[in-house]
Amino acid sequence: MQIRLAGIGGQGVVLAGVILGEAAAIEGLNVLQTQDYSSASRGGHSIADVIISKEPIYDVIVTKADVLVALHQLGYDTVKDSLKENGLLIIETDLVKPDRDYLGAPFTRIAEETTGLALTVNMVALGYLVAKTGVVKRESVEEAIRRRVPKGTEDVNIKAFRAGYEEGLR
Amino acid sequence: MRYPFPVGKSDFIQGDEAIARAAILAGCRFYAGYPITPASEIFEAMALYMPLVDGVCIQMEDEIGSIAAIIGASWAGAKAMTATSGPGFSLMQENLGYAVMTETPIVVVNMMRGGPSTGQPTFPSQGDIMQAIWGTHGDHMLIVLSPSTVQEAFDFTIRAFNLAEKYRTPVVILGDAEIAHMRERVYIPNPDEIEIVNRKLPANEEEAKLPFGDPHSDGVPPMPIFGKGYRTYVTGLTHDERGKPRTVEPEVHERLIRRIYRKILDHKDEIISYDKFMLDDAEVAIVTTGIVSRSAIRAVKILRERDVKAGLLKLNTVWPFDFDYIEELAEQVEKIYVPEMNMGQLYHLVKEGANGKADVELIPKIGGEVHTPMEIVERVVG
Repeated sequence: MQIRLAGIGGQGVVLAGVILGEAAAIEGLNVLQTQDYSSASRGGHSIADVIISKEPIYDVIVTKADVLVALHQLGYDTVKDSLKENGLLIIETDLVKPDRDYLGAPFTRIAEETTGLALTVNMVALGYLVAKTGVVKRESVEEAIRRRVPKGTEDVNIKAFRAGYEEGLR
Repeated sequence: MRYPFPVGKSDFIQGDEAIARAAILAGCRFYAGYPITPASEIFEAMALYMPLVDGVCIQMEDEIGSIAAIIGASWAGAKAMTATSGPGFSLMQENLGYAVMTETPIVVVNMMRGGPSTGQPTFPSQGDIMQAIWGTHGDHMLIVLSPSTVQEAFDFTIRAFNLAEKYRTPVVILGDAEIAHMRERVYIPNPDEIEIVNRKLPANEEEAKLPFGDPHSDGVPPMPIFGKGYRTYVTGLTHDERGKPRTVEPEVHERLIRRIYRKILDHKDEIISYDKFMLDDAEVAIVTTGIVSRSAIRAVKILRERDVKAGLLKLNTVWPFDFDYIEELAEQVEKIYVPEMNMGQLYHLVKEGANGKADVELIPKIGGEVHTPMEIVERVVG
């Protein structure tokens, strides 16, 4: 499965991709994660690609995405053409105005309401993605979060992830 | 021995990190470097790990100093590595030749980015293939390895140290910005699962007096270690078996350089490594090295679905080069394609190997993106 996460710098898109990849690795799946970002630390587009497969992976970037998660219009506009015709589009509904069918929720607002921190938007979106696709198990992602986020922020990130996951189950 | 990272299990890490961990498992205890994208993460990992394994990690004033420092460290008995990218690799060329001439085991990593000059720091390229082989001046021989996955970045780094030690030679690892920064699941073995080769040391006073001789008739002299009781003379000037400069006698120079060639080329069957993919009945061959191999495997699969008998030869070693095998391949197939991320470098080696027995066509790509499988497929089917 080819998953592409797109947003702007500062939204934690690459970290979400790394955590999703780590979760797949924990499950023993083959996984590749790459990233593309402009040189601006905030504000430029930020793209994370994750390819997960039981077979060996030869691609190095997403060529035809099965799932595109767009957290910002800039990221969406940059890569929207890479989503398959029958692919799944998940958006941050406050920040992206898509031109095709989609699923989604106001992830940033959910993050603020759940943790008080807008910057946990990446974990909310990740939870939503995992609930909608089942690409990896919830427990694997929580383990990956514990391994990858800065020490002391594990609980707040997992809380945000769970909020997104619950939203995705609705 | 405790390692500062998990061993005997899989991890999800970048190519740069894999190279650093492999170096430590291979026994590397001295790293000198100068930061440069996309190789800086190797340096960062070494800075973190080296103090935890009683090793040394030092930032030098530049890349010239970095390779000089690891040559010195190697003569002091340490397995040593440096890592850089294009501009830094250019600066290292003179001392790379010094390492060849003084037969110093070192590992030099070049994570290729777009060039020339400072070029495209964050984008991958394969523009340094010829430089890795022939960048330093004079007749010389060394070994160049080229990984295509993060696992291979790990495995080939271990192999690089073993080859460096076994043949007393510099070994270059040619990665690229894509492998440097992408993460994949990698198996980090337990130390007892890894074969480790250590350099030959002088067995006695007689051998120690001939640090550039050939007492074992394999072209590889035992290497005395500074501070271990022997007087040794090390110089980049043409020298005799004892290491003494002798620059005006043609036969001394010829004997030295021919042995440096021979110690690698006499063992090329052991050094050269490649993987074949659906090549046995192939009528069209694709020859690649490094990151492009991944797209080429996909291209072969697509071509097979379209009833084109395509196969892939993936070169794990870029140098020494198996010209004879390429000629055999050229006799078997009708055409050979060489996709590479440059304007044509590996292509020239393949064409020389094919020796006119098959058409060889270059599929160049520059700008910072890896060939897509379809870009290769479309060139093959026309």
